[in-house]
Amino acid sequence: MLKRSLAIITLLIVGYWLAQGLAGVPFGEDKMLVGHYYLQHVKEQTGAVNAVTAIVVNYRGFDTLGEVTVLFIASTGVAALLWRKKRERTAKVEGSVVLTTGAELLFPFIVMFGAYIFIHGHLTPGGGFPGGATIATAFLLLYMAFTIYEIPHKAFEKVEGLAGMSYVLVGLIGLAIGGYFLFDWIWQTWHWGTDNIGRLFSGGFIPIIYTIIGIKVGTELSGIVDNMLKEEVRE
Amino acid sequence: MNGQYASLLIALPLISAFFVPLIKGLGRKAVMGYLVLITALQTAIAGWVANEVYSTGKPIIVMAGGWKPPVGINLYIGHFAALFVFIIAVISFFMAFFSFRAVTVEPVDKYAMLFLLLMLGATGMIATGDLFNLFVFMEITSITAYALTAYNKTGEAAEASMKYIVLGGIGSSFFLIGVALIYGATGTLNMAHLAQLAGAIDPTVAQVGLALIIFGLAVEAELFPLNAWAPDAYQAAPHPITVMFSAFVVKAGLYAIARLLYILQNANGWSGVLKLVIIMATLTVVVAEFSALRQKDVKRMIAYSSISQVGMIAFALALGTQAGVDAGVFHMVNHAIVKALLFLTVGYVGVALGGTTIENFQGLGKRMPLTALTLTIGSLAAVGIPLFNIFWSKVRILLAGVEAGYSWSVALILGASVVEAVYYLRLIHTIWFVEGGERVRENFAIGVIAIFLAALIIVIGVYPNDVWTIVQKAGQDIFNVANYIKNVPLMGVGA
Repeated sequence: MLKRSLAIITLLIVGYWLAQGLAGVPFGEDKMLVGHYYLQHVKEQTGAVNAVTAIVVNYRGFDTLGEVTVLFIASTGVAALLWRKKRERTAKVEGSVVLTTGAELLFPFIVMFGAYIFIHGHLTPGGGFPGGATIATAFLLLYMAFTIYEIPHKAFEKVEGLAGMSYVLVGLIGLAIGGYFLFDWIWQTWHWGTDNIGRLFSGGFIPIIYTIIGIKVGTELSGIVDNMLKEEVRE
Repeated sequence: MNGQYASLLIALPLISAFFVPLIKGLGRKAVMGYLVLITALQTAIAGWVANEVYSTGKPIIVMAGGWKPPVGINLYIGHFAALFVFIIAVISFFMAFFSFRAVTVEPVDKYAMLFLLLMLGATGMIATGDLFNLFVFMEITSITAYALTAYNKTGEAAEASMKYIVLGGIGSSFFLIGVALIYGATGTLNMAHLAQLAGAIDPTVAQVGLALIIFGLAVEAELFPLNAWAPDAYQAAPHPITVMFSAFVVKAGLYAIARLLYILQNANGWSGVLKLVIIMATLTVVVAEFSALRQKDVKRMIAYSSISQVGMIAFALALGTQAGVDAGVFHMVNHAIVKALLFLTVGYVGVALGGTTIENFQGLGKRMPLTALTLTIGSLAAVGIPLFNIFWSKVRILLAGVEAGYSWSVALILGASVVEAVYYLRLIHTIWFVEGGERVRENFAIGVIAIFLAALIIVIGVYPNDVWTIVQKAGQDIFNVANYIKNVPLMGVGA
C-alpha cells in the first residue's frame, strides 16, 4: 500500500513536470523550420509524392538504414539466445479444415498485398516496414494453421543478409557516383523518371530501397516467429 | 582523398555484418578470422580518418545523401570523434583476437554479427551530428548490448540482460520524449542548428527536455541511480564484450551527454542540469567504490571500479570549464586503455582457469606470470600511482574540480580513491603472495596484446605531454561550440 501510494505520488510529480514542459510547446502553432523545406522541395528533389517516405528514405535515409539494422539485431539476438542444436515444432493440435484451407487461400493474397505496399511506397501511405510486416503476417498465418509448417530458414537467412547488403551497396554506389553516401543517383544523376512524377516508375531510388527493406523486414519477422515457435527436442 | 569516404566507417561494419550469414557454413574458424579481417580494415579506415583530421586540423563533415544539414543528416568527425573512432576500432580488433579463445558458446556467426554491430553503434554515436540519428545509433548499441549480455545463456546472464533491457528501454523512451520536446520547441534536429537556436528556447522546455535526454543517456553512461544493470551485465557477458562495454560503449554515452550539454549551453536553466550531472557523478564514484570493496568475484570488482571511473569522467565533463572537459577526455582515453587491459587479463584468467572468483587468482604470479604481471600493471595504473597514465588524468580532473568550485565533491572522490587502492592492493597481494596451483601455458596473441596495452600505460605515464596535446584538441572540439557551428555547413533553413 505504502509502495503503491509513493509510486502514484512520484508519477504525479513527474507527470506535472512533463506537462509544464509540454505547455511551453504550444499545440497547433507553426513551429516548422526544416519541415517547410521538405514540403516545398520534395517533388522536384526526390520525385516522391509521399513526403514521409521521401524524408525517411532520401533526406534522412541514414536513420532508416539504422532502423533496418535495429531490426536485424533483434532477429539475430533472438536467434542467438534461442539457439539449440536440435529444435523442432512441437505443436500438437492441427487446425480445422476451414482454417487450413482458408490460410492456404489467403496466403498469396496477403503476400501480394504486402508487395503492393512496399512497391508503391513513394506514391501511397506505407512503405517497406508495413509491407514487410504484412508479408511476415502471411507466414505467421501458415505457422498458426499448420502444425508442421516451417519456413526454409537457411534460404531466408541468406536472403535477409543479401537484402541488407544491397541497401548498403545502393548507398555505396551513391558514394561512387555522386560523392555522398546514400546519394540518390537514379534521380539526381541519371534524372530517370523526372517527367513521370506521380506514376509507378519515378521516385529515384525510393522504390528500390523500399523493395529491399520490404524483403528484409518480411524475412526477418518470419525468422523471429520461426525461432520463437520451436522448442528443443532431445533424441 | 575525398572526406566523404569517411562514411565507410559506418558502411563497412554494416555490410560486413549483413555478409556473415553467407559465410556461416564455412565453420567457426572462418567466421572468427573474418571478424579479425573486418576489424583490421576498420582500424585502417579509422587511422586514415584520424590522420586526416589531425593533420589538417579541420573536421570531416560527412553529408549523408548529399543533403546539407539541417535538411539531411551529417556526421561530424572532429578531433574528438576521430580519436575515439580510432580507439573503438583498435580495441575491437584486439577483442576479435581474444574472441578466438574466449567465445566457444554457439552460434558463433550470430556473435560475429552482433560484435560488428556493437562496434558500429558506438562509432555512429560518437560521429553523428544529428539528435535523432544519435537516438538510432544509441538503439543499435544498446540492443546489441542486450543480446550480447545474455549470449552465454546461463540463468545469471539472462537475469542481467533482463535488468538491462528494462532499464535501457525506459531510458531510451525518456530520451525520445526529450528529443520530441526539443524538436517541438525549435523545429530542427541538427545539433549545430540547435546550438544556434538554443538561446531562444522557452526555459522550462529547455530544462525538461535536456533533463530527460540526460536521464535517458545516463542509463548507457552508467550514472548512479540508473547503473544497477552494469555490474551484472559486465560479469555475465562474454569476456571480450565486457572489454568493449567498458572501453567504449559507456564512453559513447558519456560523450553524448557532454556533447548535448555543451550544444545547449545557451539555453536558460542550463546550469541547473549541470549541477544535476555533478551530483549524479559524485554519487556514482562513491557508491561504486564502496560496492567494489566487498566483491568476491574479480571481474565484478573491476566492473564496479570501471563504473566509479566513469563517474569521475562525467564529473569532469559536467564542470562547465575547458580544463574540466580536457581532463575528462584525457581520462576517457586512459580509462579505455587500462580497463581494456584489466578486463582482458581477468577474462583470460577466467577462460584458462575456469572462473574469475578470487580463489582462482591465488598464486597467479607463478601460474601465469605474464598475465599476472600485466594485470598488476593495470591495477596499479587504475589506482592512480605516479608514473602510470591515470595518475595524470586524475590529478587534472581533481584540479579542474577545485578550480570550478566543487571542493566538496573533489573531497568525496578523493576519499573514495583510497578505497580503490585497498581493493586493488588486496588483489595484487593475492596474485603474488598467496600460494597457488600448477603452471599454465599462456596464449601468444593475448600475451602480445596485454603487453602492448601495459607498455602504452607506462609510456603515457612517463611522457604524458604528447597525448595531452591530442586530448586538448579533442576537448576543445566538445567545449568550443561556436567553432562547432562554424564548421557545419548549415544551409540556412527558415533563418
